[in-house]
Amino acid sequence: MAILGTTLNAIGLIFLTHAVYSAHEHTAAFAHAPLPLDISIELLVSILVLSAGVVISSPQLKPIQWAKWSGKMQREGRKGDGRWTKEGEEIVTENDPYAFLGLDAGVGGKAEGRRGFWDVRAKRKEYTEWVKSGGKN
Amino acid sequence: MNEERELAINPVVGSSIQHNNQVVSNIRNLTASLFGVAAGTLGLESYPGFIFYLVGTLFVSVLLFVTRTGGKPSEYFHKPLGDLWLGEVFGGLSGFVLTWTLFYGLVRA
Repeated sequence: MAILGTTLNAIGLIFLTHAVYSAHEHTAAFAHAPLPLDISIELLVSILVLSAGVVISSPQLKPIQWAKWSGKMQREGRKGDGRWTKEGEEIVTENDPYAFLGLDAGVGGKAEGRRGFWDVRAKRKEYTEWVKSGGKN
Repeated sequence: MNEERELAINPVVGSSIQHNNQVVSNIRNLTASLFGVAAGTLGLESYPGFIFYLVGTLFVSVLLFVTRTGGKPSEYFHKPLGDLWLGEVFGGLSGFVLTWTLFYGLVRA
C-alpha cells in the first residue's frame, strides 16, 4: 500500500508540474486566450491522482469503539504509536540499543568493550608470570 | 442524557478519535493546497473556484470513505457526517485560497 501511494504521488507530481509549466508557457505566448483542453485535462487528472495518493499513503485510522479497539489489540498485540522496524520490533530509543555492551569502544576505542575472542592461554601465562614475580604491580 | 447513556454502554477511545481527526485534518490541508494549485492554473475566479474546492473535497471524502474506513465510517468517527464528510472542510479553505491566488498570479496574470 505504501508503494502504491508513493507511486501515485510521484506520477501526480510529475503530471502536475508539467501541466502548470505548460499553462504558464501558453499564457506567456497567447495572453488572454483560454487554456487548451489537453492542459486542463492533464491538470485535473494529475490533481485526482495526487489526492488519491495522499489519501492512500496516509496512516491507517484506528477504531474508536472500546470493544473493537481492545479486540484489535488482543489479536495483534500492543502496538505503540512510535516507529517500528520491518521485523516488528518497536524502536524505543533513537540510538543504538546495544550501546551498553560497549562493542564500539572495544575495537579501536580506549574502553575495554566486549571481545569476540579471549586468549585464555595468554592470560594464564600472564597470571603465572605475575605470581612468579611475587605478585607485584 | 441519552447520548451519555449510550457512551456508558459503548465507550469510545479518546486517543483513537484524536488520531483519526489528525489524519483527516492532514489530508484536508494537503489536498486543499493542491486544489488551490489547480484552481489558480485553470484561471477560476469567484464562485467557480469555491465550487471547485467543494467538489474536490467531496472527492477526497469519497476516497477516505472507500479506502480508509472501508465503507463503515461509524467505526472510526463519532459523528461520520461532521467528522468525515464535513470535517476540516473550512479549515483547509485558507490553504486553498492561498495557493489559488498564488498560482493565479504566477501562471495566469
